[in-house]
Amino acid sequence: MRLRPRRVRTRLTLWYVGLLAGVLAVYLAGVSLLSVWQMDRVLKRLAMEDLETVKGLLYFRADGSLDLREDYHHHTAWKQAEERFLEVLDPGGRILFLNARLGMRTLGGPPFPGEGAGTYSDRSAELSDGTKVVLVSGTFELQGRPILIRIAYGEYLVWDRLWETLSILLMALPLALAATALASYKMAARALNPIEKMAQQAQRINSERLSEQLQVDNPEDELGHLATAFNDAFSRIEQSFEQLRRFTANASHELRTPLASIRSIGEVALQKDAGAEEYRETLGSVVEEVNHLAGLVDSLLMLSRADAGQIPMRPTVFPLMPLARETVSLLDVLIEDKKLTLTLAGDEDVCVRADRQHVRQAVVNVLHNAVKFTPDGGTISVRVDRQGTSCAQVSITDDGPGIPPEHAGHVFERFYRAGETQSEEKAAGLGLSIAQWAARANKGDIGLISPPGGGCTFWIRLPAAPCPSAV
Amino acid sequence: MDVGKQSPHRILVIEDEVKMAEALRAGLEAEGYTVTVARTGEEGFYLVSTQKYELMVLDWMLPGRDGIEILTRLRQRGVFLPVLLLTAKDATEDRVRGLDAGADDYLVKPFAFPEFLARVRALLRRGGTDVVDKLTLADLEMDVSSHNVTRSGTELVLTAREFELLEYLLRHQGRVVSREMLAREVWKESARYTPLDNVIDVHVARLRRKLDDGFDPKLLHTVRAVGFVLREEVS
Repeated sequence: MRLRPRRVRTRLTLWYVGLLAGVLAVYLAGVSLLSVWQMDRVLKRLAMEDLETVKGLLYFRADGSLDLREDYHHHTAWKQAEERFLEVLDPGGRILFLNARLGMRTLGGPPFPGEGAGTYSDRSAELSDGTKVVLVSGTFELQGRPILIRIAYGEYLVWDRLWETLSILLMALPLALAATALASYKMAARALNPIEKMAQQAQRINSERLSEQLQVDNPEDELGHLATAFNDAFSRIEQSFEQLRRFTANASHELRTPLASIRSIGEVALQKDAGAEEYRETLGSVVEEVNHLAGLVDSLLMLSRADAGQIPMRPTVFPLMPLARETVSLLDVLIEDKKLTLTLAGDEDVCVRADRQHVRQAVVNVLHNAVKFTPDGGTISVRVDRQGTSCAQVSITDDGPGIPPEHAGHVFERFYRAGETQSEEKAAGLGLSIAQWAARANKGDIGLISPPGGGCTFWIRLPAAPCPSAV
Repeated sequence: MDVGKQSPHRILVIEDEVKMAEALRAGLEAEGYTVTVARTGEEGFYLVSTQKYELMVLDWMLPGRDGIEILTRLRQRGVFLPVLLLTAKDATEDRVRGLDAGADDYLVKPFAFPEFLARVRALLRRGGTDVVDKLTLADLEMDVSSHNVTRSGTELVLTAREFELLEYLLRHQGRVVSREMLAREVWKESARYTPLDNVIDVHVARLRRKLDDGFDPKLLHTVRAVGFVLREEVS
């Protein structure tokens, strides 16, 4: 339990650092591009200005050769002048002057037509030894003779500057990333701390203390949602625990009662000498109780198999009305016996898609329950109708004593009994549970409406389906 | 009983639980069968390989080799005597497994004894169910095809269900039939947890009124906690 948040914490930190590194990389690339472009422009502008300066410093000597006055350059701001490449040509392309930095290399080769005329021509060029340069040229008239001045600076100036800047930034980068990692590691710990606390709290809540709840500091934030979800889950688990506890208690009661009878009947019979008829009577009682027990165990087994999802559903489409009729006719002797009035009405054209055998079981159980609990001479009405477009419903209403609201929610629970004194009837405990399972297993539901005045309605809802046209 | 004419059927019961085995022996012997009980699968296997039986009643859960194993071995060896498998397992897939292994019938414990006897009779009869159209008992006569029932010449008016019930009882006259058998065979309800016992009791009570009121001897009797039997019994 402690390892997991740690790992989330590490993951979060790694994410943060990775993200920052990515953003910085993109940022640096952008900045570099921009500054290369800009420095390139600056270099050109400098070259142009330099061109003007150089123009003023050039002169023809008496022998007709061209020279450059160097005395101007003790100006320290002009360190760049040392990087300068200078070439002067006459319009015919004959070299008049090469500066010392250029040495034996030429700059740009023969002039192209219109080079430097009227404006400065700038371009990228390559020295004869491959050095890449930014080149600016201009045509002027010096002492009555036209000359073409070419000035260039190596592009390495730009790159050198860039590397200088970048290397400082890159040196700082690991530091920045480390700082971020540390900060985000702490931050993640902070963010995850409440979750760890919650986990510890949740660990303390066991089956004995399910009613304890997690503390919700702020129901609106994510942690609040988590805590609320946990609390909901806990109370659902608590409910099922409660249900299970009740079931165990009720089931043992149900199973014990016939066992107690069997034991007493047997013990009493063994304590005295009795005639064959009396023994027969005793054994009859015993077998009756055993049959009852066997029935209970069968139902329980069936339900546990149902819980485990081991009972396959074989859905077909069938009309509900004939099924209701069948159910009524199955039980009609009991209805007659209790002098009940039963009405069956509803829509003949309602069909459902479900496992017919299990639905029939559900309806039989609910109707049997109604017959059992309706006093002699009462009325039961069975209705089949549509509920909206997607549902069909069988409802069974009786005018019996009804079910008090405090029991209404539990009648489908296994072995639930509405009050201890009520009903000596046997097998009251599981029929409705089986009906509920059958309804739900067929994507339907079952429910109970019991108005305060008495009487109650059980309904079974199932997914409706279009009836097959041929009968 | 009426098996006395021929030599009695020999039945081998393989069941490890002593009380259950004794109950089966006593119940079957009371019906006139000759019964041998084996307590283990190996013993049963030896007996069935060396002696002649007409029916084997086999418990699934046995110490050592279980019932299914025995059954499979027997069928592999080409032994084809009918086998009634008894078990507490009642999931459909268990049923299928049992029948696949070569069982001829399958009965889930706990079962009603009359039902067990009915299965045994059916297996011993195997193949030849004689369809009798006229059923009689004392002065009761039933014509199945014309749906006519008379007692001492007086016609009895029965509902369809009562007719089916009486037909079933007549076909099993002298034998006790359980409510479960009636639920399955007459009402065609396969689920054991359908609450039919009350329904059956009411129908039987009504049939008895029509059948026995004002006639002697009484024919339809309740065997407490077990079921019903149709037989001549002077009260």
